[in-house]
Amino acid sequence: MCGRPVCPILEKFKTFSRFPALSDNIFGASPPSVFVGRYGYPQVSAGPLVPPDVDGSDAAIFDNSQSWSNLSIEDIIGLRSRLVRSNMRLNVKDAAVPDIMLQKSQELALSEVPVDTEVWFHKPPRIDMRFDSVTTPMGPSGEVTKLDITQNPVVPRHVDKVVYDTDVRAVDAVGELYSSDISVDHITRLLSIGLLGKQRKIVPTRWSITATDDMVGKKLSNDIKYFPEINDILVYSGGIHGNHFEILVFPGAYAYELIEIWMPKAVWSGGNVTLEADREDHRKKKSYSNLGGGYYAARLPVLEYLHRTRRCASIFTIREITPDYWAPLGVWVVREAAKQAMSSVPMRFDSIDEALMDMSARIHTSIDRWKPVSWLLDRKTKQKTLMDFVHKY
Amino acid sequence: MFKAIIESDKLKEMIEAVSSIVDEGKLNLSSDGISIKAVDPANVAMVSLNLNSDAFEEFNASEGELGVDLKRLGDIVDMAQKAEMVELELDEEQHKLIIRMSGLTYKIALLDPASIRKEPKIPQLELPATIVLSGNDLKRAVKAAEKVSDHMCMGVEGETFYLEAESDSDRMRLDIVKDQLVSIIPGDARSLFSLDYLSDMIKAAGKANEVTVELGRDFPTKINFQIANGNGDVSYLLAPRIESD
Repeated sequence: MCGRPVCPILEKFKTFSRFPALSDNIFGASPPSVFVGRYGYPQVSAGPLVPPDVDGSDAAIFDNSQSWSNLSIEDIIGLRSRLVRSNMRLNVKDAAVPDIMLQKSQELALSEVPVDTEVWFHKPPRIDMRFDSVTTPMGPSGEVTKLDITQNPVVPRHVDKVVYDTDVRAVDAVGELYSSDISVDHITRLLSIGLLGKQRKIVPTRWSITATDDMVGKKLSNDIKYFPEINDILVYSGGIHGNHFEILVFPGAYAYELIEIWMPKAVWSGGNVTLEADREDHRKKKSYSNLGGGYYAARLPVLEYLHRTRRCASIFTIREITPDYWAPLGVWVVREAAKQAMSSVPMRFDSIDEALMDMSARIHTSIDRWKPVSWLLDRKTKQKTLMDFVHKY
Repeated sequence: MFKAIIESDKLKEMIEAVSSIVDEGKLNLSSDGISIKAVDPANVAMVSLNLNSDAFEEFNASEGELGVDLKRLGDIVDMAQKAEMVELELDEEQHKLIIRMSGLTYKIALLDPASIRKEPKIPQLELPATIVLSGNDLKRAVKAAEKVSDHMCMGVEGETFYLEAESDSDRMRLDIVKDQLVSIIPGDARSLFSLDYLSDMIKAAGKANEVTVELGRDFPTKINFQIANGNGDVSYLLAPRIESD
């Protein structure tokens, strides 16, 4: 996958697999977390994730990606490998008429804090580890025969209100929850286990993560369009786990472009530098991004920043993925890396060219490779505006 | 007050012509009809539209402004069959637009006209060349260029209107000679335009029998055509791109 002679993932994996064997009954606090697979859709497997023998508030960190930026990739995989996934076979439409086990899973997903959970499996879960480009790694899994939550979930008032209102469209529900400071992870969990919208369905986790990032992003950009334009040319820089972001914010109508550069030996990239771009502007993005879920995850922190400062801007973003990103951790890494960059102290420039020169000093890949690919920079330099012609007479 | 009845096709034409530039528009009402002027947020394209009261079966309006979400209105009017009559009425108390068609009634919230981008200053341009051709021919040229590039050059050479698109590896050129045009006033003209914008504009313009294209050298283009069987007109202005060296 990555073009190295020895796979570091498998190597390091060996250490994780020295797990104590699991029995067919586990007890622990779910962070809370649920997972819905996408294979076999609309017949899917879904259920809570539970770290055996982990108590109360200690469990929160297992699913709280926002607190992981200081952990190493090994630590994160180690943490996630302890999460046991309980599987029930469900049809996505069961969300509207949940059986008792799905009901328990839904109750658990409502909670803001960990919920003590006991799970009985058909047979002891097999030691395993799963990686994906969008979802976060997970440990062993097993087929559930019985599921019980032994603690009352703590449900934020806004969550309660939206979940019991079956007349609210999912997109509006997501917007309302986000405005009420419910975390993106929590919203994703509710969407996934079929608790939002008019016609409720269970949504594979992989899709619900991106759907949430996109719905929240669209809501923010709809407002941003009306804000006054920013006055400065600013560069934000930063990242985590080998995902480096350079974010250029400059005056103009709302537009966002992301160029992804995968350096050789970064996960998924093989032996070459691969470069891909996607963008949107006030004329709206028409179809699902060729960059997948990372596009929407990277966009969110920038939109949050503009929304907070009540400014409209054009945004040019580079995400360079270095060999330090050696295991796929899921799309949260992209979101957190962009967030890290946006929380840096911005550098101010007099021109876009100066800003680009400065950015290029922190990007391994030559500016000659990425600058010509940019649609936004091309438009900024070559497209005239009608105002250029108003004053000529 | 505002109450009007219009054939769905004409209303669709109007919405399409404007919503290709902006999502939201300010409808200026008077006893003569409806007019809209809008510029896109990037200040690259502008639309100016007039729909005379003659385009309507019935038209009653006092001077006023209506802020309308055009995408939303377009979605609703799409429910109407071809040639079906659509009735529009302003509910002044609730500040909503009522839309009625064969038994269906919608009420949509209006936008505060003050929240919509201000109407643009319209650059007064003297453009040396004027080409009149069928909307379909212009549409074909835009489609052909899209296969090659993101932008297209329009120019005049003698009495020929030409369109060119170029990428690193491919090239497209379409010559439309005088005989194939409705008319041409030759002049010094060659300008490059973004196909993002042109392909949106051509959705409405492509249906017109005659489209007038005015051009200069590295200057905006003006694209004019009629809608509603001659009872309305649309004028687009599009700023050029700088040609790469």
